[in-house]
Amino acid sequence: MKQLRTQFRVVFALVLREARVRHGRTRIGYLWAIIEPVLLTTILTVLFTQFRTDSPMEGGFALFFATGVLAFQAYRNPSQYVSGAFDQNQQLFNYPLVKPMDAAYARMLLDVATNLFVMFLVLSFQVIVFDAPLPADVPRMSLALFLLFAMSFGAGTSLAVLRRFWPSMINVYLVIMGPAFFVSCVFFSLDSVPTFYREILAINPLVHGVEGFRAGYYSIYPDSDLNMLYLFGWVVVLNCFGLVGEWLTRFKNI
Amino acid sequence: MIELLNVSKTYRLKSGRKTVLNGVTTRLPWKNTAILGRNGAGKSTFLRLISGIEEPDSGIVRRNKSFSWPIGFRGSFSPALSGLENVRFVARIYGQNTEELVDKVEDFAELGDFFYEPVRTYSSGMGARLAFGLSMAIKFEVFLVDEVMAVGDAKFQAKSKAAFKAMLPTSRIIMVSHSMQSLLEYCECGLVIEDGRMTYYNDVKDAIKRYHELNA
Repeated sequence: MKQLRTQFRVVFALVLREARVRHGRTRIGYLWAIIEPVLLTTILTVLFTQFRTDSPMEGGFALFFATGVLAFQAYRNPSQYVSGAFDQNQQLFNYPLVKPMDAAYARMLLDVATNLFVMFLVLSFQVIVFDAPLPADVPRMSLALFLLFAMSFGAGTSLAVLRRFWPSMINVYLVIMGPAFFVSCVFFSLDSVPTFYREILAINPLVHGVEGFRAGYYSIYPDSDLNMLYLFGWVVVLNCFGLVGEWLTRFKNI
Repeated sequence: MIELLNVSKTYRLKSGRKTVLNGVTTRLPWKNTAILGRNGAGKSTFLRLISGIEEPDSGIVRRNKSFSWPIGFRGSFSPALSGLENVRFVARIYGQNTEELVDKVEDFAELGDFFYEPVRTYSSGMGARLAFGLSMAIKFEVFLVDEVMAVGDAKFQAKSKAAFKAMLPTSRIIMVSHSMQSLLEYCECGLVIEDGRMTYYNDVKDAIKRYHELNA
């Protein structure tokens, strides 16, 4: 019990510290963490809306794209951030109370909060300015989002473990995540893809998370190929790999 | 205060395995203890093991007191954050009253305006003063000190000594240093590390004598 309280205290202290150092010592500090993805999402939405004017769903392409990008980032951003938790916090592990996993938890908490806030801002903007419909099924969206976050944590810790041995692992990951944007149903729906390619696309777990999030937002959405259990399988495998890997390699990195 | 049972610790280096401790069994009494050994013998590793930062490859480390982190020059501070922010972080993880601790450390470390500047701008003396002031402001039962005792000017050294003397009724120190003078000043007994083994000496003078033999 006392141990758990200490760990909460440590994670809380780490969250405050990470929020402080993430964007250097700029005057507006953590605001950047909010402004940056909001701007990025807005610019991408404007760009992609130029190419596609036909809207697959009610509310126009802008909303369709925004929901896709937000769900995709809910996976990508925390996984990248958490993957640096061990590597970039070396000096903190000089305090016996601070364990590497605490740094991973802290980064995850901070980035989940950031992502939720960004999501709230972008979607509110869509609803208020573009008159987009309100979300239809919030529990369903939350489930997809939860699974995306959970998979993100598993991938992040797994990467953090690999980075203990191969620091350049993060570059490999960034190379993978670039094309992943184009095959994760961010700007098209799984339903619009020919059957043959659909089966291949469905191997990508992010497809199920992104489409699941969207299927919750819209009141009517083609969702026959979505499988949350498949996504959950990835969550379990990646988290096991990350947690067990961290435990096995804890003192081998020096 | 601490007991090691058949403790082994190795590091993997590019050139192969380096053994730091090889099946060490020893028990340190509740005394101020000097840790001696040649460069790379494993003194700092020993401090990391007993503080709990690292676990041994095999064997058991038992402690029944509260241990500080190894207090070194600046190893534990985030260079991008100010002294103030670093102190706040430590106050939070150890569940101390943040503002009280900040006041105490600011007063003790005498960094002036540098207290509000990033730690990366500090000289090593300033880093050591902050580290020492911070650790002394938290009531640990055992302080693990890695080479920082002999820093600062004469006035700061006198102050450190006074602060340390004030802790003596409730606390002890385990100290790594190459300055025999400060070891003699602070410690009663000694532990010499050589070739993965440790030898305990009840009198620090005997430990120092052995250390000089090793260096001869």
